[in-house]
Amino acid sequence: MSPVWIVILPFVGSLCAAVLPSHARNAAVWLAGAVALACVTLTFQLYPQVVSEGVVRTVLPWVPELGLDFTFRVDGFAWLFAMLVSVMGALVILYARYYMAAQDPVPRFFAFFLAFMGAMLGVVLSGNLIQLVVFWELTSLTSFMLIAYWYHRVDARRGARMALTVTAAGGLCLLAGMLILGHIVGSYDLDVVLASGDLIRTDVWYLPALVLVALGALTKSAQFPFHFWLPHAMAAPTPVSVYLHSATMVKAGVFLLVRLWPVLAGTQAWFWIIGTSGLITLVLGAYAAIFQRDMKGVLAYSTISHLGLITLLLGLNSSLALIAAIFHIMNHATFKASLFMAAGMVDHETGTRDLTRLSGLYRAMPITTTLAMVAAASMAGVPLLNGFLSKEMFFAETIFVSGHAVTRIGLPVLAVIWGIFSVAYSLRFILQVFFGPPAQDLPRKPHEPPRWMLLPSALLVLACLVVGMFPAATIGPFLDTAARSVLGAYMPSYSLVVWHGLNLPLVMSLVAMVVGTGLYLALGKYQQGAAVVPLINRFDGRRLFEFAIQKLDALAAWLMRWLSTERLQVQLLLLICAVFAIALVPLHKGLPAGNMAGSAFQPAFALLWLVGAACAVGAATQAKYHRLAALSLAGGAGLATAMTFVWFSAPDLALTQLVVEVVTVVLILLGLRWLPPRYAWIDDALDSFGARVRARSRRLRDLALASIAGVSLAMLSYAVLTRQAGKGISHFFIENSLPLGGGANVINVILVDFRGFDTLGEITVVGIVALTVFALLRRFRPAPESMEPPPQQREQDAQTGMAAPDPHAPLPPGPMMVPGTLVQLLLPVAGMVSVFFLLRGHNEPGGGFVGGLIMATAIILQYLVGGTAWAESRTRIRPQYWIGAGLLCAAGAGISAWVATRPFLSALAWHETLPVIGELHLSTVLLFDLGVYFLVIGSTVLILVALAHQSLRAHRKSAAQARPEAAAGGVAALPAQAGPEG
Amino acid sequence: MSWLQHLPVLPVVIPLVAGAVMLLFTESRRTTRTFIALSATLANLAVAALLVYMANRGLPEIWPGGIAVYLLGGWEAPFGIVLVADRLSAVMLMLTAVLALASLVYALARWKRMGPHFQSLFQFLIMGVNGAFLTGDLFNLFVFVEVLLAASYGLLLHGLGAARVKAGLHYIAINLAASLVFLIGVALMYGASGTLNMADLAVRVPGLDDGDRVLFEAGAAILGVAFLVKAGAWPLNFWLPAAYGAAAAPVAAAFSILTKVGIYALLRLGSLLSASGAPAPFNDGWLFGIGMVTLALGTAGMLSVQQPQRLAAYCVIVSAGTLLAALGLGGEGMKGAAMFYLVSSVLATGAFFMLSEMIERTQRFGDNAIDVSLESFGLDDPLDPDRPDEVVGIVLPAAMAFLGLSFVSCALLVTGLPPLSGFVGKFMILSAALGTAPLETVPASTWALWAAMLGSGLVGIIALCRMGMRLFWSSDEIVTPRLHLTEAAPVAVLLLLSMGLTAGAGPAASYLALTEISLSSPRIYIDAVLGNGLLSSPSNGAGEPGR
Amino acid sequence: MEIVYALAIGVLTGSGVWLLLRPRTFQVIIGFSLLSYAVNLFIFGMGRLVVHLPPIITTLDPDPTRFDDPVPQALVLTAIVISFATTALFLVVLLASRGLTGTDHVDGEEEPEP
Repeated sequence: MSPVWIVILPFVGSLCAAVLPSHARNAAVWLAGAVALACVTLTFQLYPQVVSEGVVRTVLPWVPELGLDFTFRVDGFAWLFAMLVSVMGALVILYARYYMAAQDPVPRFFAFFLAFMGAMLGVVLSGNLIQLVVFWELTSLTSFMLIAYWYHRVDARRGARMALTVTAAGGLCLLAGMLILGHIVGSYDLDVVLASGDLIRTDVWYLPALVLVALGALTKSAQFPFHFWLPHAMAAPTPVSVYLHSATMVKAGVFLLVRLWPVLAGTQAWFWIIGTSGLITLVLGAYAAIFQRDMKGVLAYSTISHLGLITLLLGLNSSLALIAAIFHIMNHATFKASLFMAAGMVDHETGTRDLTRLSGLYRAMPITTTLAMVAAASMAGVPLLNGFLSKEMFFAETIFVSGHAVTRIGLPVLAVIWGIFSVAYSLRFILQVFFGPPAQDLPRKPHEPPRWMLLPSALLVLACLVVGMFPAATIGPFLDTAARSVLGAYMPSYSLVVWHGLNLPLVMSLVAMVVGTGLYLALGKYQQGAAVVPLINRFDGRRLFEFAIQKLDALAAWLMRWLSTERLQVQLLLLICAVFAIALVPLHKGLPAGNMAGSAFQPAFALLWLVGAACAVGAATQAKYHRLAALSLAGGAGLATAMTFVWFSAPDLALTQLVVEVVTVVLILLGLRWLPPRYAWIDDALDSFGARVRARSRRLRDLALASIAGVSLAMLSYAVLTRQAGKGISHFFIENSLPLGGGANVINVILVDFRGFDTLGEITVVGIVALTVFALLRRFRPAPESMEPPPQQREQDAQTGMAAPDPHAPLPPGPMMVPGTLVQLLLPVAGMVSVFFLLRGHNEPGGGFVGGLIMATAIILQYLVGGTAWAESRTRIRPQYWIGAGLLCAAGAGISAWVATRPFLSALAWHETLPVIGELHLSTVLLFDLGVYFLVIGSTVLILVALAHQSLRAHRKSAAQARPEAAAGGVAALPAQAGPEG
Repeated sequence: MSWLQHLPVLPVVIPLVAGAVMLLFTESRRTTRTFIALSATLANLAVAALLVYMANRGLPEIWPGGIAVYLLGGWEAPFGIVLVADRLSAVMLMLTAVLALASLVYALARWKRMGPHFQSLFQFLIMGVNGAFLTGDLFNLFVFVEVLLAASYGLLLHGLGAARVKAGLHYIAINLAASLVFLIGVALMYGASGTLNMADLAVRVPGLDDGDRVLFEAGAAILGVAFLVKAGAWPLNFWLPAAYGAAAAPVAAAFSILTKVGIYALLRLGSLLSASGAPAPFNDGWLFGIGMVTLALGTAGMLSVQQPQRLAAYCVIVSAGTLLAALGLGGEGMKGAAMFYLVSSVLATGAFFMLSEMIERTQRFGDNAIDVSLESFGLDDPLDPDRPDEVVGIVLPAAMAFLGLSFVSCALLVTGLPPLSGFVGKFMILSAALGTAPLETVPASTWALWAAMLGSGLVGIIALCRMGMRLFWSSDEIVTPRLHLTEAAPVAVLLLLSMGLTAGAGPAASYLALTEISLSSPRIYIDAVLGNGLLSSPSNGAGEPGR
Repeated sequence: MEIVYALAIGVLTGSGVWLLLRPRTFQVIIGFSLLSYAVNLFIFGMGRLVVHLPPIITTLDPDPTRFDDPVPQALVLTAIVISFATTALFLVVLLASRGLTGTDHVDGEEEPEP
């Protein structure tokens, strides 16, 4: 059976658990238990194969070209770890069954639990560096979910976030490290990497890779200076702490260090980075553990210190130390897990974990007491228990360490000090809680927990004893295979026996025992109330962490302040500057000189633009306080533009520009009424002196920018104008317009045939805009102060004696009667003219667009003269139908080509000669132009009418403050109050 | 000839016709309109899928080269306008179609009643985006960009409200200015080279004399600025968070493809002009620098916003920055990696926008202010042993479970954490940045990109973790929203797609690797458009008067 | 001639840009229309300046050199139409913003005194 299933099974189980109903407690437990046991058996039955073949691999290709594959690889060490993970998992599931409250939605718990277990097994069995990182980050995520399981508690949330942030950061570093390793070796495959240790150690990028990998491992294993997240993670439910923080997750870091030991270890850098961090953690953790009030707090810090022990052993660069490390990984898992269970049981039965409140529980909970005592003894390293064995090996290693005198002397001394501390806190843990006078005022009456809850702990303690007494017979062979799979040829000879004779390590242990006991008694009084750790209390990891986060926020805010703005003017300024700057890159050498004689100078043209320029500048200066003047001046500039087009033989442009001009002006005129009045003297009065200074400086800046922009664009165009045009594509159109395009007016042929696709897009834009405007104005709310009809209108109404004209009168009454008659007569004429322009467009200046605008203008005249109500009582216009029809017309003209099996927009045509209009060129092209015509009419009218309606609406609103506007956010739009749909 | 030969133009025609037809039905005919919109979007998806298949040499009898060239009006390039569908275009079209379908379905649940003509405008938006991805003509590109912009104005303003109008005003103003810049650039390029067809440009540029060459490059540079505005590059992207953060959720989701139009244009023109030395800002140094700053800004934004939708908007900026920086850095395999990242990030942000709107429904106003202070100032000792472990967890309603799960997935996607496609994309970029050269020769810019991407990932985790806790965990009284299936399904589908992308990373990566190859050798594209254009176009003997 | 033409573009651009950077929405919209004139002239100029040769073909085999370059004219036509449409839209949006925010400042609120 391939090892793949060992990893897949838990995830499948997790999914199943997730979909269980939240009260299906036992179902979830059975499911989880079954999965865990399955994993145990699957792993176990791989053992013979592992022993015989050394490595069992299965490869599932993922992204082969990047060297990304799912490689599941079991060797002795991975096997041992997988066993640890799955067996522990099974035990913890049983424990959790009785630990979690009955009402608790445990399926969610077990879903996360199994997911974590799968991720952990994935890390252990990964045969590919990147795959390992993937599962590594998965453990961070799932553990986050488990720690924050009781997310309504602030401490749970904070602990989870801290754990996630620290470990995820480490994970990112690990990813970088793995990428570098893979790049050095040329493959991410673990076997390849393990085979090329020398290559890696000699590479210049060895140190960065080592540091990055170390960051990953040390954060995960809560090593100094990243140890601070672990105590806060104790906010998790105790089963989680049992599993994650004693046996599995925190061990992932040391697992990785062992895994990569063959390729990374053996250098000074390794010794100093890993060893130092381990040593500091070792002592610091043990020291802090003495002063904790919370049972889980003691265990958390002791875990930190024991992980430090393992890390230090790995840092020592000796193969025996490596074996000791692997051994201690197992031992620590067993006794620490059972201790966490004990703490959980005490909590569960008494309702508190406070060492200063608990006392004398052995009367009520004898079995728990015994189990806890044995496990604690093992933690303290009492002989005949497994903790003793690995501790002895550790002491031995510290003695045999070579190197500078400081290390030779310092290491053993610190080791003993550690031993003293651990004896002290172990003693305290037991004596405080279980002995002494029976505790008063406990939240609950303590008694023995249910038998099944004791079982897992009992099994673990049994393991401690058995391994502690007969190591060689029990753990020996497995440890041997594990170590052999890491060390390979360099496997040293070692002996797993309880009695090594009276040697230095044993002496060290005895010293530790005695002094430790003394220390406990000495501190006895002090500890009662103590919540703070003397000396190092200042260095609170959590405070540093939160400080860092706050600094990060500040930095982000600072960046936002300096790198971004909400103000439009600044943004436009930046855009202009960007254009100028980037255009300067190719142009910094200066503009190319002209190579063509300019056309003869004509004073008239110069005069025209003298006026035009004056208009433009005038518009620029007047736009703030004299809008009407500015508008007409801008119109003047537009007129000059149109005349320029005439001048340089572009009648179509001139025509279009002119008509567009008219319509735009009408539009803006209709809009002007809604803008707030603005008077120079008022503004000047309002502005403070400082404001005026600022305004002036800003104006100067903008003026400079504007002149730069103007000058540069002028220079640019002059440069182009004075250069001979290369032979481009233009000749094609002139040559083929008549023969192939069948039109004399090249421009129009280009618009509707050669480049008809552009026109299709263009009219779509017009249509879209019209629809948008309609949708907008339907919900438009004019500013209250501009609701009132303007003075002129009021005056006029006073004269005519009527507010709103009567819609059903044949003619607009009052002073508008005569023009009304005229425009009514005008309408059909305008229609004729527009159609005429539409039809002749193909050969003479004109075309659908111009025709459409002319017609639209005629319709608008009706509104202007007769007033909205009157005009609409005359003609029912449904502009949006016109838009739809126009688009369909144009698209249809294009699609019709498919019938003739020609590509979209190919023209199908025939000639006719008609009176009046003359030679007519009927074709799908004309249909296309007709579409343009319809659409332009529809859109223009829709826009103008929508604007025109505002005045009606405004009156109605001001009359009776109309229904409240619907807030943004998609509640049904108000029906048009007087929409053109009628 | 089979209808298949009109395949390249369908992505433009279908939405156009659908949008126009819907105008002929009054507001009251909702079911009809909905039916039309849905079927059009589905057809669009099918066409896109076919094109992806075609680009992989799936239809050898029509387009043996895997590059579909469609001569509109039968006028052969460079005179007429051509549509060109190669791998790159096909992928972008596919992405657009998927996103469009998702957002449309989402919109149906509550937004179908939103202001008039939403459906039509939506179709026109799709039309514009598709056209921009397909066209091979510079000015036609401008037209389609205008189409999609106009539609986006309409959609952004839908439902009004002060925030939207303010954002809309800025959005429109900036884009109007950008369009003018666009026009100047295109005009200058035409004035210097005398052609508008991109392939033809690539051919002519080397032949230009120095003077025209300078003018041409100036034009290209100016055009590039317009593209950068579209791509949401710093310092031209300040309108983006406001606009995307204020738009209605499905609209914002559809918008997450818009910035990629700018990226696409930069890629396309950059690759075509690369033969003759691409001018700034197509040239790498510029892109890299701009991208790095954009990335930094986006990351800072993620950390400093409170509202989910704005956070999603900053995710868009982050992805834009990452893409620009990555493309700027260049290197073998980088374009393919960037494309993979692009696809993944568009799916992610699309889902995120819709999700954020659903999440905001669960919130009561100002309910979690206190909790935030608790979080940050760490009141109450977290290691209080008197707090018994005997606590009962909270039972989650299905809706909240779904939202939470989706939020986590989105967070994983945008921060590029395993196991979703975001990680694969980031990994691809990182390893592509490393290249194959020995490490000593790796430039500092590579490490800068590494640091920036990993760092922004970490900051993203912090920001999203904080926001997730605030939204889902901190307030005791979260309103469990009523979700329609049509709202949940699109998000779920997008996320599932990204998971599928992870699983099928192998095939996807190889497809995109081929995309990169075709980009780095523009000759194939040029030949397809100009050389044997007739052969690969439906109209044999184009320009011959069929009248 | 060319110089006058170029200067015209310059002046239009200058005044347009100036207005673009003003705080009042009405100024901005006028700025946009001036700028669009400038850009249209610019595009048109790309076909170089030819007098008295409107691109209306009368013979079946015209001599391209004798005619004005028609392409820029077509482009300008499209550009005119599009800028007309977008200007209309911008107008309406600025009206809406004025209605909702009560001010005609481009940022929807008067600048705060720093």
